[in-house]
Amino acid sequence: MSYQHAQDNWFAAILIAFIALAVLVNILRARMGAQLYIRRIPGLDAIDEAIGRSTELGRPVTMIPGLTAFGVVAVQALTIFKYITKQIARFATPMRLLSADPTVFAVAQEAIADAYNEAGRPDLYDPDNVRFLSDRQFAFASGVAGLIQRERVAASFMFGEFYAESLIFAETGNMVGAIQIAGTVSFTQVPFFVAACDYTIIGDEFYATSAYLSREPVLLGSLVGQDIAKLLFALTTVGGVVAATIAGTDAPIIKLLGQPGGWEAFWNSVLGGGGQ
Amino acid sequence: MGMITNLMAQQTIWQLPEGSRVLFATLIVAGAFVLILGLIPVLQTLPPRGRRAIIVTVTFLAGLFFAAEFFLPVNWTAFFPQDDPTRNFLTPAIQPAQNVLQIIGALALGLGTFGLVRLHLRNAVQKRPQWGYSIVLLVSFVVMATLSILNTLAEKEIVERGPVLERAFSILFDYTLVQLDAAMFSLIAFYIFSAAYRAFRIRSVEASILMFTAMLVMIGVVPLGAFISYTLLGLPEAGAPEGANFLTQLEHNIGLPKIANWVLTQLNAPAQRAIEFGVGIGGLAMAIRLWLSLERGVT
Amino acid sequence: MQARTQTLWQRMLGIDRRWLYLILFVNIVTFLVAPIRMPASISPPVQKFYDEIEKLQPGDLVMISSNWSASTLAENQPQLEAVITHLMRKQARFTIISIEAQSRDISYRLAERVTKEKGYQYGEQWAHFGFVPNLTVAIKGMVTDLPGTIKQDVRGTEVSKLPVVQGVKSLSDYKMIIDVTPSGTVPIWISYSPKNVRILYCPTSVMAAEAYTYLDSGQIKGMITGAKGAQEYEQLLTVVGLGTRFMNAISFSHVLIIVFILLGNFAMFMNRLQQRREE
Repeated sequence: MSYQHAQDNWFAAILIAFIALAVLVNILRARMGAQLYIRRIPGLDAIDEAIGRSTELGRPVTMIPGLTAFGVVAVQALTIFKYITKQIARFATPMRLLSADPTVFAVAQEAIADAYNEAGRPDLYDPDNVRFLSDRQFAFASGVAGLIQRERVAASFMFGEFYAESLIFAETGNMVGAIQIAGTVSFTQVPFFVAACDYTIIGDEFYATSAYLSREPVLLGSLVGQDIAKLLFALTTVGGVVAATIAGTDAPIIKLLGQPGGWEAFWNSVLGGGGQ
Repeated sequence: MGMITNLMAQQTIWQLPEGSRVLFATLIVAGAFVLILGLIPVLQTLPPRGRRAIIVTVTFLAGLFFAAEFFLPVNWTAFFPQDDPTRNFLTPAIQPAQNVLQIIGALALGLGTFGLVRLHLRNAVQKRPQWGYSIVLLVSFVVMATLSILNTLAEKEIVERGPVLERAFSILFDYTLVQLDAAMFSLIAFYIFSAAYRAFRIRSVEASILMFTAMLVMIGVVPLGAFISYTLLGLPEAGAPEGANFLTQLEHNIGLPKIANWVLTQLNAPAQRAIEFGVGIGGLAMAIRLWLSLERGVT
Repeated sequence: MQARTQTLWQRMLGIDRRWLYLILFVNIVTFLVAPIRMPASISPPVQKFYDEIEKLQPGDLVMISSNWSASTLAENQPQLEAVITHLMRKQARFTIISIEAQSRDISYRLAERVTKEKGYQYGEQWAHFGFVPNLTVAIKGMVTDLPGTIKQDVRGTEVSKLPVVQGVKSLSDYKMIIDVTPSGTVPIWISYSPKNVRILYCPTSVMAAEAYTYLDSGQIKGMITGAKGAQEYEQLLTVVGLGTRFMNAISFSHVLIIVFILLGNFAMFMNRLQQRREE
């Protein structure tokens, strides 16, 4: 048996439904006017500072979505880049967006063009500034490193999924004296960004970025819903630790939550007095 | 009626005999072309609100397919005894749907390559700064693409694999591309050195903790750490005996490899687990927003 | 106005990074050729990996997912060589699958070389299924119908005609999956493969950090981490492979990095002290 459907793992299915409900309810709350708080994220506050520095120096800004295949992470990265582009458009700062995924490249072209339109500067949009370099990891890395060196970029924004090439980007940017802000969901690359970048956005702060920058009620509501779901996870963990400490790891309640199988397994466990 | 019975018995068009499948597939592809060609002028004439309504509907239906396939029950043998109990009626369509996504990705690769070639051709023709590199890229692109295509045709025995083709492809792929890949990856070792030298400074409490932990793990995970702990310092390598006192337990667990293992499993793993929970929940929330078109970022 | 002369400490802090690269290069080359061998301390994940393969019986079927290319050759090649050597010692059957063309070629050539040395026959005791473009779809397909999903091996033979997988209908018929990869593909195997099939993991050192959670929860039964893990595993197998040879250079380059970190901090303190004195 493998977990390919909700019926294979009832606990996961209920969790997914709960998280979705928490997110949707809080989006509704936000739409109805609830005031929602989001803490400061220094890396995101520094975006404007980085753009300002680029403008003063007259050197370009690079935006790198990493090796992200088109999906949720790529859309979030492009949302952030769209915001950055709107800021850049105000100062006519040159920019380069370098992509390793052709689908992301195609969507990025539209997103950046939209950003310039929304900023009222469609004349500044140059399609050659949004480039697909290569879908091979190190060919992409060498292309990006080369561009950063040749054009001596002043600010580098790296948001998305990164692998081994992350340090190549970050260190090359450091060599040319660029101010660097990185945000990634790739846990293993965080130490490299922390060592080489000025600001690093870790884990789910990456998903909070669009809410932080736009302060849109829907996005803030979604963020609150995520936090409620995380609280549930934390409470489940604490509850599990307490229950396992008091009753032992063979206790029915502990085994129930770890019970593999579908609804029959669940009901049998409950009616039969605990898991196997 | 036969079609419905087939569907209920989990036979779909993906499982029809060969002849019918080709006919259906041809009809579907042709129909898709007609639909797209017809849709483009319709979308262009629609006002923005109307366009948005269509996009929202299509996005919702596309996401609904995957969500429904996951959540719908799979075991219908109570109603359809000859049913497969490991899938529902949408499951056979998952693989073709994934194949469609891959085909769209492949088309996008053509678009990306076109953009790249166009940029560098323009650089070369207009002799923009550093146009020499553009020439190098274009020549490499044409040569590599030609040889790769010929090589693939030779593998399928459509063209003859001559010694020139074999040698040329081997030089470009095995002795150039593969080695360049390895060389770029090995740059990381040098970059780690300069990044660590620059970043691991005692500037604050957190930076100090980072530095000392990194040094402990770096030396603990290599044989030198074991040599220092168990050979030079004479610490016992084996675990402490049952019922040993605190000092004995400490002596048996203070070796550098054991400390490094403790840091990785007791500090790193829980922190990483916590971050992964947050990332997973964030990803799910983002996916829901995209599915319900609540995300106003890129779209 | 004359430029102020830099002190030793300031020069150390602002050292040109090319000097650092040169020192590291000399260090690595020296210790790669130096005939020093230090035994490794076997870490628990590697011991678990070894013990799991020791439990295999002759004829048991193992799926190896090999997704590495030339860039991570130094870490993944010794892992794969040691794994295949151990599987052959246990007389287990194995099939290899990849997710891209370069990994397919590299793993196929490596397996051919290693199995030829030990007399393992292609098709009878091992096979290579080529590469699949989408791992998630491939695993889901293999769970229900393996011959129908894979269709042909790397030599163009129909999978249903290969003696090594005769009678195999699904991934559930395998005893074990070993994922040798520099990318994070193990969560996909964990999510979609049958729960009766044990999963072992061979990542690069960088990717290992995120796998400790799976090891802790028992979702993977053992792990070999990079070249260091390969050295430990070779030690358990009593063979001297690439892992053992590379670890020397890696060990002493770690020492070099630590020495320079300490030097850098020392220079920073001395510089601050000097600046305070001058004030």
